[in-house]
Amino acid sequence: MLSSAEQERTQATQPASRAEHATKVYGSGPTAVTALDDVSVSFAAGRFSAIMGPSGSGKSTLLHCLAGLDDLTSGKVFISETEVTSLGEKEKTRLRRDKVGFIFQSFNLVPTLTADENIRLPMDLARREPDEAWLTRVIDIVGLGDRLRHRPGELSGGQQQRVAAARALASKPDIVFADEPTGNLDSRRGSEILDFMRTAVKELDQTIVMVSHDPVAASYADGVVFLADEKVVDRMESPTVERVLDRIKRLEA
Amino acid sequence: MFKTTVKGLLGHKLRMALTALSIVLGVGFVAGTYMLTDTMNKTFENLFAGITEGVDVYVRSESSFEAQLGGSRKPIPEALLEEVQAVDGVEIAAGSVSGYAQLVDKKGEAIAPSGPPTLGTNWGPEELSSAVELRSGQEPRGPREVVIDAATAEKHGFRVSDEVEVLFAGGNRRFEITGIVGFGEADNLAGATLAVFDTATAQKLLDRQGRFDEIEVAGDGSVTPSELRANISEVLPTGVEAESAGNVASEQASSLQDQLSFFNIALLVFAGVALFVGAFIIHNTFSITVAQRTKEFALLRALGASGGQVMGSVLIEAFIVGAIASAVGLGAGALTALGLQALLASFGIELPSTGLTLLPRTVVVALTLGTLVSVVSSLLPARKAARTSPMQALRESAQEPTGFSTKRAVGGGVITAVGASILLFGLFGSGSNKARVVGFGAFVTFLGVAALAPLITRPLAAVIGTPMARLLGISGRLARANAARNPKRTAASASALMIGLALVSLVGIFAASLKATTDQVLEESLKADFLVTGPSMAGPSPISPQIAADIRERGEFSAVAPTRLGQWRRSSNQLLYLLATDPATFGEVATLGETQGHLQDLEEGGVFVYDQTAEGLGLEVGDTLEMEFAASGTQDMPLAGTFSDKTLVGADYLISLTEWNEHFSERTDYQVLVKSAPGVSAADARGALEQVVESSPNVTIQDQRDIRERSSAQVDQLLGLVTALLGLAIIIALLGITNSLVLAVFERTRELGLLRAVGMSRRQARSMVRWEAVIVAVIGAVLGLVIGVFFGWALVTALKDEGLSRLALPTGQLVAYVVVAGVAGVIAAIPPARRAARLNILDAISGA
Repeated sequence: MLSSAEQERTQATQPASRAEHATKVYGSGPTAVTALDDVSVSFAAGRFSAIMGPSGSGKSTLLHCLAGLDDLTSGKVFISETEVTSLGEKEKTRLRRDKVGFIFQSFNLVPTLTADENIRLPMDLARREPDEAWLTRVIDIVGLGDRLRHRPGELSGGQQQRVAAARALASKPDIVFADEPTGNLDSRRGSEILDFMRTAVKELDQTIVMVSHDPVAASYADGVVFLADEKVVDRMESPTVERVLDRIKRLEA
Repeated sequence: MFKTTVKGLLGHKLRMALTALSIVLGVGFVAGTYMLTDTMNKTFENLFAGITEGVDVYVRSESSFEAQLGGSRKPIPEALLEEVQAVDGVEIAAGSVSGYAQLVDKKGEAIAPSGPPTLGTNWGPEELSSAVELRSGQEPRGPREVVIDAATAEKHGFRVSDEVEVLFAGGNRRFEITGIVGFGEADNLAGATLAVFDTATAQKLLDRQGRFDEIEVAGDGSVTPSELRANISEVLPTGVEAESAGNVASEQASSLQDQLSFFNIALLVFAGVALFVGAFIIHNTFSITVAQRTKEFALLRALGASGGQVMGSVLIEAFIVGAIASAVGLGAGALTALGLQALLASFGIELPSTGLTLLPRTVVVALTLGTLVSVVSSLLPARKAARTSPMQALRESAQEPTGFSTKRAVGGGVITAVGASILLFGLFGSGSNKARVVGFGAFVTFLGVAALAPLITRPLAAVIGTPMARLLGISGRLARANAARNPKRTAASASALMIGLALVSLVGIFAASLKATTDQVLEESLKADFLVTGPSMAGPSPISPQIAADIRERGEFSAVAPTRLGQWRRSSNQLLYLLATDPATFGEVATLGETQGHLQDLEEGGVFVYDQTAEGLGLEVGDTLEMEFAASGTQDMPLAGTFSDKTLVGADYLISLTEWNEHFSERTDYQVLVKSAPGVSAADARGALEQVVESSPNVTIQDQRDIRERSSAQVDQLLGLVTALLGLAIIIALLGITNSLVLAVFERTRELGLLRAVGMSRRQARSMVRWEAVIVAVIGAVLGLVIGVFFGWALVTALKDEGLSRLALPTGQLVAYVVVAGVAGVIAAIPPARRAARLNILDAISGA
């Protein structure tokens, strides 16, 4: 449980990401499918947030739209003060490169680059010198020191996800979006990643928004947003596995 | 299975279109070549059939072969005509003559088609020349009237009653044009220019006074043509024959066709190269698609398809693609034929043309070849597909094979060595069919290097990609890594380009060596100050012997040596060249390097032979050499001496002009070599020569610098033509790079999506694909260059005996080829780079 003082502090700070009346419709006419229906939600900076919901609830679509990977049909999306929805293709690319980190469920790494090169990829793309001190800290926390020269093919699934997590944080982004980051891992490797993400938020003062359908994963977050039927239906602070499970059961009922 | 295959094909339209395009181009080239040469052949057949129409029998002197140089048959006495006319069954008989007569255009330039001759002839009776039709005006009468062909009239703006100057071996004269003739549909005779005079004038001006080249006879129908021929034969003296018109027509047509068969073969070689390159592309495309469809094949296998069925499905796919592409290629062949014609014309080789001829043979060859190439190229990938295990349906994407394969190294090394050995054997050995052996050796060498290429692709990509990685940062680094990630594929794409580049470099080296040799020859062997020569680039064009005589009259020159080039026959099948000149002066204008005998000995008759050739024939001075001439038949020629420097002779055999006049009917000179007298300035000498040739616009005067420039221009023209023809193979190779990169982009969709998601801009994505293409192209160019330099070295060394004494590497040119290949890589990358940049990130990362 957060103290009320802490809650006030978080709410007072600038949200790292928010959506205003976000609506996403795929297709048109009678075959149109609504994926997001007037969703307004914000994620505070310096927190580890989870988005949960049954499959088809629109949680992945929400994440993609928040990150500027997908366009909304109507509504607005912001990262820090920047309105993502109004940006052109080039600016969106720059935004993703400089302000956003990504961790996907699988295929996070470029197979031709070493772990180290993968981690430095966003800076290399920006032709920017990385903050070596920061990078050392990130790599240190992920615990990959001895595997940096290996290529993804020579790493286990868990190690690959840790490299991906390090890459997501390497450029000191305003926010990291994680899409089912533990989806392809067994529970032990999954908990390693989740531990790392929580540590990154606490110790490195980072902001992470994670989509997951796994109550265990959600329990690592500071707060959870529940999505059902293309809408935000609930929020929960300091979730536990039991409370999340219970909530989901009610959602599905 | 068949249905699955067809559906698969329809599902990958772009991939198949690109694959098919390489076959379309290759088959188009083959079909186009056949169509072009068939058309030319047919044109000539029709032409000669037309010309002989109305004639039943030709009477002419005997000759065992037709020489292209030096004239062939001896003229026959005019008096024979009366005897022939008296033969039973003869309706009409008339004598005809033909010889050198060159028209001069209105600007005073001699009209010189490159290749075809400039003919003068006499006007015959209408009954014997039904193919000739007056388009306007009337027949020539008297010593000042001429009729010319419609094509020349059209091209140079001549009309009836215009004046025209005509050059003859004995001088020139002005005529009034009284008529313009065509030949049925055609405006001229196979590209030749024609000047027709009345018989007496033609006889006089063409050096046939009292003689005819032929007597044309038409029967009155009372006897069959063969009886007529037999009847005429009875009255003919020995050495004169009667031949049926049909035989003469086909003889003449096939003689021209023989000359043109060189084109056919040369073009087919280029077409073969294009198809060979196409085969690489098809092989590569099928290899990639089979790898990409592993899961699909595995699923089919899991559902009960046998390995054979899977293999069959790939082969059927290749068959369908090949067959369709071949059919399209056949259509493209018509365009290619027109294109080739235009290309040859732009290089000064004009061929007569009517509608295109499509023989069944062309259809069969094109369809079979294209389909076969497609199926054979897909055999290995198909076998690989057949080996897919059902388990692979469940596994993650197949790991690409990496690392050094000893098997490949040994196999590729052996094939390369065998290919190179065959090539060297062909070049330096003494077998027959040398060109074929050399070609086969080159083919095997290419296969061997292509097999080895995957082993050196990684280091090459690393080296070539390093400056890119430095300059372009991550895009360059990724490009380098991508080029190296599947060495087999990169190597296959590069190998296709390698073939074209190797051949282009070979030609470049050959041309540079030719130029270097010419320079050296001029320095070492040419003692003459001036060369008087005709204008034709394609072959020797006749110069009146009067010119040499006039130069001799002048005081400015110490030595004048006219030369004539002719053909003779050895051991009844080999046509060889010989040069005839004035033994008294030739030694002063050129270095001959007599090893035995003195050049002056030739005045007594006999022949000088290039020493290595004499040695090869086992000939010593005093021995006799049996030489067969078109005009004088078989002669025993005593060997008067041998020589070691044949660079200016240009042939292995040398005779005197006196001897020439005995054995050849041609009386014009090929070139005249002139040396200034001591103390005469170059300007004065040139002035004197210009005075002599003032009224001979077909003649040019060259000093040593002009000779060098002109020969270098000729070499450049050849280089340009060959490079242009090889351009198609290079275009096909670039299509291959495009194709494999399109497939790679498709395969790397998720990776590209990831890169774009983490901040790669579209520009960077394009740049990454573009530089990968550049790396592949440069690898191909570098491999091609290495092979090309080897081929060039081997060829030039092998031709040392033929006078190609210097090996020159045109370094700047070769480097330029690599740069051009790189730029071409940029162009080849446009479609895949665009695809990569336009990729929908979300679809890419969420796709399975």
